[in-house]
Amino acid sequence: MNARSGLSYKNKSVLGHRVRILAGIVVSIVFLFPIYWMVLTSFKQQVDIFTNPPRFLFTPTIATYVEYMKRADILARIVNTIIVASSSALFSMVVGTMAGYALARIRLKGAQTVGLLILLSRGVPPIALAVPMFLVARKLGLTDKHITLILAYSTFLIPYVMWLMRSFFLSLPKELEESAMIDGCSRYGAFFKIILPISLPGLLSTLIFSMILAWEELLFALVLTNRHASTIPVAIAGIAGDSVNGANWGALTAVGTITVVPVVVFALLVQKWLIKGLADGATKG
Amino acid sequence: MGTVQIREVRKSYGAVQVLHGVSIDIKDGEFVALVGPSGCGKSTLLRMIAGLEDISGGDIVIGGRVVNDVAPKDRDIAMVFQNYALYPHKNVRDNMSFALQQRRVPKPEIVTRVDNAARILGLEPLLDRKPRQLSGGQRQRVAMGRAIVRDPDVFLFDEPLSNLDAKLRVQMRSELKELHQRLGTTTIYVTHDQIEAMTLADRVVVMNGGVIEQEGPPLELYDKPASLFVAAFIGSPPMNFLQGEIVDGNCLMLADGTRLLLPCADPKERSRVTVGVRPEHFSIAETGWPATVSIVEPTGLETQITARLAGQLIRVLVRGRTAFAPGASIHLVVAPGDVHFFDAAPVPELALNDPS
Repeated sequence: MNARSGLSYKNKSVLGHRVRILAGIVVSIVFLFPIYWMVLTSFKQQVDIFTNPPRFLFTPTIATYVEYMKRADILARIVNTIIVASSSALFSMVVGTMAGYALARIRLKGAQTVGLLILLSRGVPPIALAVPMFLVARKLGLTDKHITLILAYSTFLIPYVMWLMRSFFLSLPKELEESAMIDGCSRYGAFFKIILPISLPGLLSTLIFSMILAWEELLFALVLTNRHASTIPVAIAGIAGDSVNGANWGALTAVGTITVVPVVVFALLVQKWLIKGLADGATKG
Repeated sequence: MGTVQIREVRKSYGAVQVLHGVSIDIKDGEFVALVGPSGCGKSTLLRMIAGLEDISGGDIVIGGRVVNDVAPKDRDIAMVFQNYALYPHKNVRDNMSFALQQRRVPKPEIVTRVDNAARILGLEPLLDRKPRQLSGGQRQRVAMGRAIVRDPDVFLFDEPLSNLDAKLRVQMRSELKELHQRLGTTTIYVTHDQIEAMTLADRVVVMNGGVIEQEGPPLELYDKPASLFVAAFIGSPPMNFLQGEIVDGNCLMLADGTRLLLPCADPKERSRVTVGVRPEHFSIAETGWPATVSIVEPTGLETQITARLAGQLIRVLVRGRTAFAPGASIHLVVAPGDVHFFDAAPVPELALNDPS
């Protein structure tokens, strides 16, 4: 009796395991197929792109890559995107992390309200902000400058970082800081010497997501920049919306692939730091 | 000097007052336990001594200096938290060194002091481990080691043994007591476990609802509880209570009319009283209060009998073994000095369930 119920339990868990793996595969296909298709198309010749049924086997070419990488504006836009995305992400990390900590730990009157208001600001459609931002930037003579985009991106990245880090800090026992403060730290000392090192996994995943958000941003870049500070999503949009020649799918997918590569490389680089449970062992357990 | 004076200390959160003017005078080297049910304000008081909570009123004096507005780091105290709060990214040695590094103690001295504390606590083989690689008891010991290396004026313990299993708790309790005898550092120890408080402390402060119910040496609290609350709180298994009317000088008439002859009269000569008798102070005799055995629980050294007396369940603890079976009729006797009289009042809830 016991052995039988044990066996059926085991069978059930094996089945559950298989279902989970299958579900994982299905979800992965749904998410990865468009990327796969983009990369595939980017290596096709113009004639192969529109064949029906679609062709999976063809003579690959890197002609589109060669053509577009030679164009100075694409390279410059990649550099612009790197500058703007990393600066705005880092700046937002510094401000957002400290704000998130304050919201999580420091008892201040109205702190909750302030936090909510900052979060609500994300509820405003970006298009509603883009035009006023453009007008302000023009008045200040700041259009088409890196700093303008960095500040614009920070307006949505800081609330994002703040709320993510706030919940991360809330998950840490407050006795850690209290212990540090009794051990001889000020509130700032406890934050920098104890809390930040423990928060490394949270900080890095937040950083990755912030980078990606800034990297792919189109609307503000479209409105606030023109030539000098323009980013790669603007270039892609330009290729897609070419009203004279129609969309150049080869170019679109090639530039798209080039855009994705740095993000993937960056994510792989920091991935090993994302080990979960760095905070294990602080308390009972 | 490790003296601590708590003078009329108050604490309120908005309109809610949780400490209503508490005063305790702690001598250098004394081990004082603050004990009480959850929500009585004992942890809040400890955190105020540590400087982790603001003081709404009164003064806290450590070593002759009013510390109301002194930062925790400048109070020369060390604290052990219930959840240990070890720094997870530092190994045991660095956890113990941290406070000394913050105080810019020279490196060789830090090494000596950490090694010394590690030897006292048996932590030497664990110095290179991270907290997550330690068992609960080992983490507990590291938390104590972190406090010891500081050589502070005052140790503060906030329920340090609550997260350990029963066996380990008893072992750590003895180690704590030995440690205090060895170091002689003033210690304030918060616990909800009256056994811990009784066994460890030189003086026990029983708190309830933000006030001190009674303070004194452990056995004084056991022998002469000043209130029904203390009587119910101190002692395990808890004291039995019988409510009734005093008739004919020394006879207790219960609600159902049962008359029990008391071995002595109420010194305050109240007409309605609550009479308390500890389970271990009953003895079984030929004559006395009649009761019927309902449960017998032998533990070897002693036997706990739950009996029904005039419809009410009471506990009786007798040494050794007994031959009584459920349903047997027994008679209970109590010595004159072992009867406690209190104002007639509802018995605090906690007496109904075993605090341990």
